[in-house]
Amino acid sequence: MRHTRTDRAARTIRTARPIRLFADGLRGWIHPLAALLLGLAAGAVAIVAVGGSVAETYAEMWRGSFGSFYYTTNTLARATPIMLIGLGVALAFRAGFFNLGAEGQLLFGALAAAVTALYLPVPPAAAMIAALAAGVIAGGAWSLLAGWLDHRFRLNLLISTLLLNYIAIYVCSYFVSFPLKDTTGNAALNQTSMVDKAVWLPKLFRGMSVHAGFVIAAAAAVLLFVLLRYTVAGYRLRMHGSNPLFAIYGGVRRGRLMAWTMLASGGFAGLAGAVEVLGTQYRYIDNALTAPGYAWSGIMAALLANSHPLGTAAAAILLAALQTGGMGVERNTEVPLEIASVIQAAIILFISARFARALFRRRKARAADGTAA
Amino acid sequence: MELLLDISLYGSTLRMIAPILLAALGGAICARVGIFNVGLEGLMLTGAFTAIVGNHLFHHPWLAVLFAAVCAGLMSLILACLTISLHANMIVVGVALNFLATGLTTYCLFAIFNVKGSYYDPNMTGLPKWDIPLLGDIPVIGGILSGHSPLVYLAFALAFALQFWFFRTVKGFRLLAAGEHPEAARSLGIRIDRIRYLAVLASGVLCGLAGAQLSLGQVTQFTEGMTAGRGFIALVAVMLGQNNPLGVMLSSLLFGFMDALSIRLQGYALPTQFTMALPYVMTLAAMFFFKDRAYLRQSGRIE
Repeated sequence: MRHTRTDRAARTIRTARPIRLFADGLRGWIHPLAALLLGLAAGAVAIVAVGGSVAETYAEMWRGSFGSFYYTTNTLARATPIMLIGLGVALAFRAGFFNLGAEGQLLFGALAAAVTALYLPVPPAAAMIAALAAGVIAGGAWSLLAGWLDHRFRLNLLISTLLLNYIAIYVCSYFVSFPLKDTTGNAALNQTSMVDKAVWLPKLFRGMSVHAGFVIAAAAAVLLFVLLRYTVAGYRLRMHGSNPLFAIYGGVRRGRLMAWTMLASGGFAGLAGAVEVLGTQYRYIDNALTAPGYAWSGIMAALLANSHPLGTAAAAILLAALQTGGMGVERNTEVPLEIASVIQAAIILFISARFARALFRRRKARAADGTAA
Repeated sequence: MELLLDISLYGSTLRMIAPILLAALGGAICARVGIFNVGLEGLMLTGAFTAIVGNHLFHHPWLAVLFAAVCAGLMSLILACLTISLHANMIVVGVALNFLATGLTTYCLFAIFNVKGSYYDPNMTGLPKWDIPLLGDIPVIGGILSGHSPLVYLAFALAFALQFWFFRTVKGFRLLAAGEHPEAARSLGIRIDRIRYLAVLASGVLCGLAGAQLSLGQVTQFTEGMTAGRGFIALVAVMLGQNNPLGVMLSSLLFGFMDALSIRLQGYALPTQFTMALPYVMTLAAMFFFKDRAYLRQSGRIE
């Protein structure tokens, strides 16, 4: 261990700084790109297995995701909630908290936003901001509950967040099926009434599906990057994530850190729900947020980018592109939509093997006792 | 009260927990060697799908079960290889494995059977129901215990067998040692990585059986994502049971009972959402009493 470190130090001194920075930057990109290519290769195998043409399928996938301005904005609209959720998850992962409760946080955020937008008697602009805030607070509170249970009662966060997902699904489903159900229309769907048009998030381009939520998500990614990288709080959070014992020894208070992190992490997921309600669906519809798997896609985005905020945003767009591209593939070829899920999972597996190598050096010394956080 | 005396409630409890119990036993084996297997859900789904494929290929339920066990076992080797040999983060790999299983099963469902959503073939034979001769004749209990698929009995038998194996045999003890203190175990000449590989493989095989029970046990049918979170519930059962096979069995029973109860309660005036959320709420409540020691140790809150 010590030997390797001196070697590396020596190399560092020899290499000129700009070159080293470039090499480091490149190294950060090579692995995800290699994983992406391997994932596409795995997808090619799957395409051949159903007798499709690889070139044609991938061409359709490209056309369906970025082929025209319309499809590009479509992809960005789909990427919006994934980005926000991914950022929240990345934040928690960076602090070493495995928050897998994005789904429940997303739902409560969406429901709270819909209710606020519908029933708060204030002017439209204020209602929009209040709805977004309500989404953040509701998502954050649900997430904070898991954090509090962990800190106060020592419940395993990973498991409690998973369980809270199911509870949130049923609670939200109850609200839109009974007290908040829209009974005016003749639709048999369980949904709230439609939010007033003045409260909708503005579209970025006329007639295109991408809305102001995308700008919010992009800004959030940059903000989170700066906070994590350049502030003391960000440093503490990252320290706790890479070595909790060291961080606690150094004076980080786990409970407080956990409360803030979980609050913010769930807040992002809640914001995703609010943005989706105000920008795309204009009401809370039962199952409309769980069916597309936004929450798990967001978690995937964070995993793909190794919890780097800007990388998470990029990964979210990539995943959204795979999904919208998959729909294009299904429309125009014999290959089913799920080719996208196969490629996504393959990419993550290849990425995790890379994640591996970074840990490997650290692990060798303490002979991998099997714990990881 | 009347409800709790209903015998068929307990019978359906047993059926419902069999898949959870099988997967949870697999999870417990992994947990004992220090691997937190989040991929149970995906492995179970793989098992459920390949059991149907096996049935389609071999026209025989037992070969189908075998096929499911082999396929899920192979799938689990991905997890073993990445986490043990490549030292990947096991939670990341587990989550990715779940994605892979969801994607692959849906994809292959279309590729093999040319259908989406679910596949059902009336010509397929499901697992037989065993009527246990003597047991079935006992007045009340007989009705509960008899007439299940063999995998249900296997699940419970395995729980007892594993308990014995862990704590009363040399090999089981070595496995425990590999998880308890890898360094010390290694110094005694125990091949830790091999034990870990075998543990993950065992969990894969058990999840394969769990999936087979799911798709061949009751109705002979595969539906996309039919495991519906049972793998995660199994994970909870492992934790509640403190990695002890019998404890895992009891916590699975608790969960299965809640599940069966929630279905039964739907006949009453309660909204279905509340009864369906009940098992999860109860599980969360049960977590207050049983702590996950490995988790606490890792986050630096106990020695």
